[in-house]
Amino acid sequence: MIKVAVSGINAVDNPGPGIGIIKGLREGSLSVSVVGLAYDAMEPGVYLEQLIERAYLMPYPSEGEAPFLNRLLYIREKEDLEAIIPALDAELPLFIDLQERLSAYGIKTFLPSKEQFRLRAKDRLPAVAETIGIKIPATLVVTSYEEFSRALSQLKFPVMVKGLFYKALKAHTPAEAEQYFHSILAEWGFPVILQEVVAGEEMNVVGVGDGEGGHFGLVTIKKLWITSLGKIWTGVTVTHQRLLSAAEEFVRAFRWRGAFELETIVKDEEIYLIEINPRFPAWIYFAVGVGVNLPERLLKAALGEEPERESHYEAGKLYIRFTDDFVTDIQIFQHMVTRGER
Amino acid sequence: MKISRLAISDEGFVFDPETGNSYTVNETGLFILQKLKEGLSPTAIVEAILEEYEVSPEEAERDVEEFLEGLRRFGLWRESHD
Repeated sequence: MIKVAVSGINAVDNPGPGIGIIKGLREGSLSVSVVGLAYDAMEPGVYLEQLIERAYLMPYPSEGEAPFLNRLLYIREKEDLEAIIPALDAELPLFIDLQERLSAYGIKTFLPSKEQFRLRAKDRLPAVAETIGIKIPATLVVTSYEEFSRALSQLKFPVMVKGLFYKALKAHTPAEAEQYFHSILAEWGFPVILQEVVAGEEMNVVGVGDGEGGHFGLVTIKKLWITSLGKIWTGVTVTHQRLLSAAEEFVRAFRWRGAFELETIVKDEEIYLIEINPRFPAWIYFAVGVGVNLPERLLKAALGEEPERESHYEAGKLYIRFTDDFVTDIQIFQHMVTRGER
Repeated sequence: MKISRLAISDEGFVFDPETGNSYTVNETGLFILQKLKEGLSPTAIVEAILEEYEVSPEEAERDVEEFLEGLRRFGLWRESHD
């Protein structure tokens, strides 16, 4: 029985990837016992006892390294943890910094390097896209209001106004762009990224890089239905050879280690890179469901085993997300609030 | 070349495995698509329609033309390539 901790168990309207990862681990060949890492006592995963044997509250990464590491070591002591699969952007820098120390305590991870993690910054995307032979939409990176005003006259509307790492708002007019520029500036600071909108098919690739230029599987999907937050609700697998080749080139050129997702727009013969996520996406169960169990392969890699590498799946498999509900006792909530665990 | 990769069901449901797009076609559309997939030229398809259905040559030609125009619009067919 392998004890593995998974975060991102906030299965809400902007779901974390944790539940999908856990479903994959449970459907795999390894026998696992899952510890859920939550940042709020109300995260739905805390209450899903059939998927998550034990749950612990974590301190926010912003509180710093020491409380975070101490909490993980406490959980290790209580649970005999062997591996952790972190699933949230905000905690990844800490896990990357801590990976060697965690390993010394017997807790294995399989994460990108610091340098690889930095590739996700929007101002790095043009260079990444060029390296892997695809395009990015016309993009200007601005670091002042003057540059912002100049940039607007050089781009065709609508434009996306983006923060360096998070948030993207679609502006149809200069006035709207200015409003979004100020709101993103206030929240995330400079640089602000302005990008033309490319109309096309929204296609994403998920995979796990082996850190040596190869990978443990790739799956390409197209979003068919998205929520008002832009989250996938229905999707379909596709076999887009050029996109798969670009993803292969991504892991080869950057020797990517760990989970990743490339978000792209495909228009006619061109592929445009929109975003790199250095972790599993929330729809990761889709890959599991079509026979490419990436969460389990990542766990095997973390444990030093050699995972499967084939990524055969059928095009035309549908992904359906749906809402569900259940009733439980208040004790779980009580334990989480008073003890920080259940 | 795109036509050859399409998955076409007998019910007239068409799935493009590369783009993830799906379409439905009527009986005539299905007939034309299947013939295109077999490699028939538009002229040969018009002749095949005349053999199969009781329609005038003008009507058959117009149907094929309109359908091909639809395929072109969806980026699924180009005369020079398919």
